Amino acid sequence: MIQLRIAGGSVYDPANDTDGDVRDICIEDGRIVASLPDAAPRLDARGMVVMPGGVDIHCHVASGSVNVARRLLPEDHGRHPATAPSLDDPAEVPRSGAAGTVPTTFTTGYRYAGLGYTTVFDAAVAPIMARTAHSQLDDTPIVDGGFFALLGNDDYLLRLIDTGDRERSREYAAWVLGAAGAYAIKIVNPAGVELWKRGTKERTDLDTTLGSSRVTPRVILEVLVDSANALKLPHAAHIHCNNLGLPGNSATTLATMAALDGRRAHFTHLQFHSYGKSPDGRWRSAAREIIEYLNAHENISGDVGQVMFGSATTITADAPVEYLLHKSSGRKWANVDIELETGCGVVPHEYRDRNAVAALQWAIGLELFLLSGDPWRLVLSTDHPNGGSFMSYPELIRLLMDRAYRDEQIGRVEQKLLAGSAVADGLEREYSLSEIAIITRAGPARLLGLQNKGHLGVGADADVTVYAPHDNRATMFSTPRYVVKRGVLVVEEGQLRRAPTGRRLHVRPPFEQSVTRDIERYFDRYATVRYANYPVAGLHDPPVPVGAR
Amino acid sequence: MTHPSVIENVTCLGCGCACDDIDVVVASGRIVEARNACRLGLRWFGDGQVPSVVRVDGGDVTLEEAMRSAVTRLVEAERPLVFLAPGLSCEAQREAVAVADLLRARLDSITTSTALPFTLASQEHGHASATLGEVRNRADVVVFWGIDLAERYPRFASRYAPGPPGTHVPEGRRTRTVIAVDIGRATASIDADVRLAVEPANELATLIALEALARSPDTSSRYASLADRPWNSARELAAVLLSARYVGLVYDAEPDDRSTRTPVRFEALASLAQTLNDRTRCAALALRAGGNRSGSDSVLVAQTGYPCAVDFARGYPRYDPHSSPLGVLAHVADTALVVGDPTGVPSEVSGLTHLETVMIGPRASTVAFGERCVVIDTGVDGIHASGTALRTDDIPLPLRAPLAGPRSTAETVRAVKLAIRRLRPAGSGVGGAGRRALGV
Repeated sequence: MIQLRIAGGSVYDPANDTDGDVRDICIEDGRIVASLPDAAPRLDARGMVVMPGGVDIHCHVASGSVNVARRLLPEDHGRHPATAPSLDDPAEVPRSGAAGTVPTTFTTGYRYAGLGYTTVFDAAVAPIMARTAHSQLDDTPIVDGGFFALLGNDDYLLRLIDTGDRERSREYAAWVLGAAGAYAIKIVNPAGVELWKRGTKERTDLDTTLGSSRVTPRVILEVLVDSANALKLPHAAHIHCNNLGLPGNSATTLATMAALDGRRAHFTHLQFHSYGKSPDGRWRSAAREIIEYLNAHENISGDVGQVMFGSATTITADAPVEYLLHKSSGRKWANVDIELETGCGVVPHEYRDRNAVAALQWAIGLELFLLSGDPWRLVLSTDHPNGGSFMSYPELIRLLMDRAYRDEQIGRVEQKLLAGSAVADGLEREYSLSEIAIITRAGPARLLGLQNKGHLGVGADADVTVYAPHDNRATMFSTPRYVVKRGVLVVEEGQLRRAPTGRRLHVRPPFEQSVTRDIERYFDRYATVRYANYPVAGLHDPPVPVGAR
Repeated sequence: MTHPSVIENVTCLGCGCACDDIDVVVASGRIVEARNACRLGLRWFGDGQVPSVVRVDGGDVTLEEAMRSAVTRLVEAERPLVFLAPGLSCEAQREAVAVADLLRARLDSITTSTALPFTLASQEHGHASATLGEVRNRADVVVFWGIDLAERYPRFASRYAPGPPGTHVPEGRRTRTVIAVDIGRATASIDADVRLAVEPANELATLIALEALARSPDTSSRYASLADRPWNSARELAAVLLSARYVGLVYDAEPDDRSTRTPVRFEALASLAQTLNDRTRCAALALRAGGNRSGSDSVLVAQTGYPCAVDFARGYPRYDPHSSPLGVLAHVADTALVVGDPTGVPSEVSGLTHLETVMIGPRASTVAFGERCVVIDTGVDGIHASGTALRTDDIPLPLRAPLAGPRSTAETVRAVKLAIRRLRPAGSGVGGAGRRALGV
């Protein structure tokens, strides 16, 4: 029986209304318990800040597409070698790797844990590539992980939608999630990726038709959002809207939010979807319109997708966006059309603080954070590695918590497009530690429906991070003093000591078995993988329960 | 003879197409039939009989003794080389890369001596590509560029393109235009609508001219007066490609002694495919040969950041595809761990009889290199051991195990890994003072 008492720290556990109270956190067999005998081993956390382990709701760390990016970036890896940690347990094999914008698998796990994050979700996996995502997650130690299945351009689903059969669409979605071992439904540029595969390079709006007038982004969104809710999945449909990255796209984003008309849904990397367009055609911030809509509608949630200055690599299923980025930046480009399901594009990118558009993107992200009325519904992400690396979260936290520092940074960036941005007008808000705990752990865990994560109540997974307070919040959040993962002390005095295997978070919703007959016929006709060979097998961890239908 | 049993939907690793529709018939512990398999597939499956020999320096020993010798020799090596031969599941490849990391070894695979020019070109340029099914379902024009399908990828045409119907090409072959480009003697063996012969010396010029024509109509008129062979060929092809809805450009990433395949040539192919996307859609498919080669590249990329030619000597992976070709490095290595089917090991490695070797793989005992050699025969991944393999387009497929056989390679290498780790409790770092870092 492994016991540990984290003694005397200031505990920030917003899910349990604990805001800096000094108290002990008791751990037994990987879970939080109410009390422990006095003789139990203790970790002296006096004077320190104790929070649940971080939860990343949206990043790209384990998929075929991430590997397309890794393969494309030998020069980036070469500049950022990562030596193996010294691990105490001889059963754990320490591994070297490469960091940079898209770190290798083992290095990803070590570095997330080193930041105090204990749960991560890859936001975009083509179901046909699920085995690859699982094997990369197997090699991403310490963190618990899962992924979202790309369904918004799925050929079979689009056919069902064309027939108007929403029930079968839902049953199909349930089948795919279980077959892939995925956690949630992801929608990327609905219909737009399929249009790109058909040769269209124009914008896709909510009522753009795809072959048939019955198939539009609006209908795809309705069907998949309703499916996630009817299946009572722990996480709502995770939506990447149409027209990402294009000036004036805030109109699409607002129209999409309105189209869902009270339905539960999550809108991801909102920063990339909050661009207005001035009458003279220039980019401007539309963050205020977007965040005000979100604030006023409790059915929807979002994550920010903050841009951080420096090198990034853009990886997305939204392949047409990558084509445009390649054309405008001239950087190298990889595209992979993925059969019957989705796309994949990769382009390395540099966000420069003297570049007007990059500065605007950065400011829009901050605006969204600073104008957010509910930290439980607008949580932190950089869409790693699209807006910046997860390694830049501490710097982002500093920008949110320290107004003087933020103002100094705002003064340094290119101002050309910032007129009208609330950030330029000097927003005063500073996030509190409790709010940071919400946007980096309690909030994402709640939005993901992870009942045992993001909090420190009795029965929760014993994923705990202990920080030494520091005036420079970036310093504080970049080097936790201790990190405990499921009761195991993995970071001790700032050093990684253990690297246990994380668990897989996935769902297996029940579905009407009769739908598989037609799916099988479709596979025989159009797929290059046999129906029998499509589902993954052998996941060791049991599925996360879905609600009763 | 026992009643035959049929194992359905078995994945074949005879070439990179990784057909997963093979029905394997087993009787009396042997494969008696592999339905749907092509010539390469039949050879790959064989009858499923493999030796199960465990040997140290020519003498039979127990598995435990062999494992102990293997681990001792690897740990004591001054400059180890870990070589991933073809024929491994991704699971076995992951274990072998871990061993290389622990040993601070040079790590290589068959890719360095085969598809390196393609690999370097696609890292430099990126690529506009697709999975095979996308070309099957969409391509109305399919170009086979100097690729001998009949010899190397026998079922490609009937499973992917141009044969089968697809979502956007309802009548299959009849709704597609097929272009075959022969580069010298490298014949594109396919029944084509348009066939073009290009002199090897003109291949690059033709590709560059074709890309220029694809770039814009203006370019096309600007070069109208050029009338040498490459321009004439390019004009003929450009007309078809630019009127296509979706072009599949299929070529071979593997070497072929009938034509020279430099990185520049692969860059020109990649560049052409990318540029065609300005005017239509195009996906380039560079095909890889059998034995889960794509899997090895993918596993190396995920764990080390690089697809091949990795050196762990400094305690982290370093990409070394240029300065230290496999042959040169292998000459300085003192111990080699060869994992996989040793019959697929290139002569740069197998010719190194001065090396101490540890060979873990199916039929290892039939090809022992050198006198000081630990040999552990294992089963064949995909015949005796289950797991995962990647098709040439990185689509992952399950490997089934229609037969029982010797212990799996993955399990064996994993045991070696854990034994090495136990001998190195400090974690990072091996050897230390005595270790020479090569090429530094």
